[in-house]
Amino acid sequence: SSHALCSFLPFSSGLPQAVPFRGSHWQTSLLALGASLPVRAQPKKKKKVDLKREQAQKDRMKKKLKKLEKAAPEMIPIEDFVTPIKYSDSNRVRSLAPLSFEETERRVLLLKKWCLFKQKQDEAEKKAIQTLVEAQQEALKELRLESEELYQAAIRRDEGLFPFERDGPDYTPPLPGYDPPEGKCVDITKVYTQ
Amino acid sequence: TAAAPRPWRLFGAMCLLRLPRISQPLVKEEEEMAALMGQIELEKSHYSDHEVRQLEEEEQLRRRKESMHDDDEAVGKTVIMAQDLEDKWEQKLLQFKAAPRITDADKNNNRTSLDRRLDSNLMLLVKQRIGNQELWLLPQVEWQPGETLRSTAERAMATFLGDHVQAKILGNAPYGIYKYKFPRAIRTEDNVGAKVFFFKAFLQSSDLSQAEPKDYLWVTKDELGDYLKPEYLKKVNRFLLD
Repeated sequence: SSHALCSFLPFSSGLPQAVPFRGSHWQTSLLALGASLPVRAQPKKKKKVDLKREQAQKDRMKKKLKKLEKAAPEMIPIEDFVTPIKYSDSNRVRSLAPLSFEETERRVLLLKKWCLFKQKQDEAEKKAIQTLVEAQQEALKELRLESEELYQAAIRRDEGLFPFERDGPDYTPPLPGYDPPEGKCVDITKVYTQ
Repeated sequence: TAAAPRPWRLFGAMCLLRLPRISQPLVKEEEEMAALMGQIELEKSHYSDHEVRQLEEEEQLRRRKESMHDDDEAVGKTVIMAQDLEDKWEQKLLQFKAAPRITDADKNNNRTSLDRRLDSNLMLLVKQRIGNQELWLLPQVEWQPGETLRSTAERAMATFLGDHVQAKILGNAPYGIYKYKFPRAIRTEDNVGAKVFFFKAFLQSSDLSQAEPKDYLWVTKDELGDYLKPEYLKKVNRFLLD
């Protein structure tokens, strides 16, 4: 670098000297002259303006960042509620004969019968649960008459009861010695991150 | 607070349930409704990829039959049609034989086996000597001071089925109670009668090789009436769901 030579080059006019001048033995060409020689008169103005401009730029960037952070996170789309476009083609629509009057009547009457059936089933279930609870209350009352200590032991919560897991009933019982065919399941669900 | 000793003897009984392994058959209304739901779903649906492929292939076949010159192009290719795939799947299904819903135990009405009536709950009944009678009861054992009633019930289960039976007992509280007074001949001031507290449990292990070869039965709720006394049955039916 050529710091020692700055005093020889007055730059008050702002124009570099036209004389071909080699600052030091490290400088290989004249083109590097303007960049390597430190400028003294101009820097004071450039510093303020640049600094201010840079400061303003930084502030604007910070404001934008804050705005982005404040904005609500993007909602994750529920893929079940979005019908893929290929299924709304017109060639996909099923062509069936319109229902006859008898068929619609049959359906309506069947729905009414079903409604009644389910109501009776529900009521029977509720009554059964009611009897269950009453029987238990009666048992606990009798137990209390017998001994307070046993009663307290009986109404204590059973920690080992939940979580209770059980494989539900299937249509056919398990086949002894059945070897299910091998297969691999590849999970292709899309995972979104907010 | 030590109260005067009560004149009732306490017993803990265990109602052990084997839960159903297959679903119950559908009632007529349920079947009709299921068919209707299937029909409505079919009507409201669109064609799937498989069905679109089938329709296109039918179209192609039809066109080929009408215009014979297309045959020359198709000879070289062996195309698997959607209909062929369906036939193949059907064949594969027919080759599979599922276990029967009505087992041998059902046909022989073997009431000591656990494989009977796979679609309903089965309860354990044992023959016990009470006083001078042999009765069919839910397994019960007298309560001893120092244990809770739940452990009495567990002990009753272990006495009749061995230590290795695994059951999930549903809570610390009894589900029902049967109170009876002793006949006047043996009734005293201190010994008026007995209270039997019932506990419910689900059978989890199917290994009952340790069971004592005494009289025991696995019966459903509707068959209980064949074995239990009426008063006892009335109390037991209250805490049993179908």
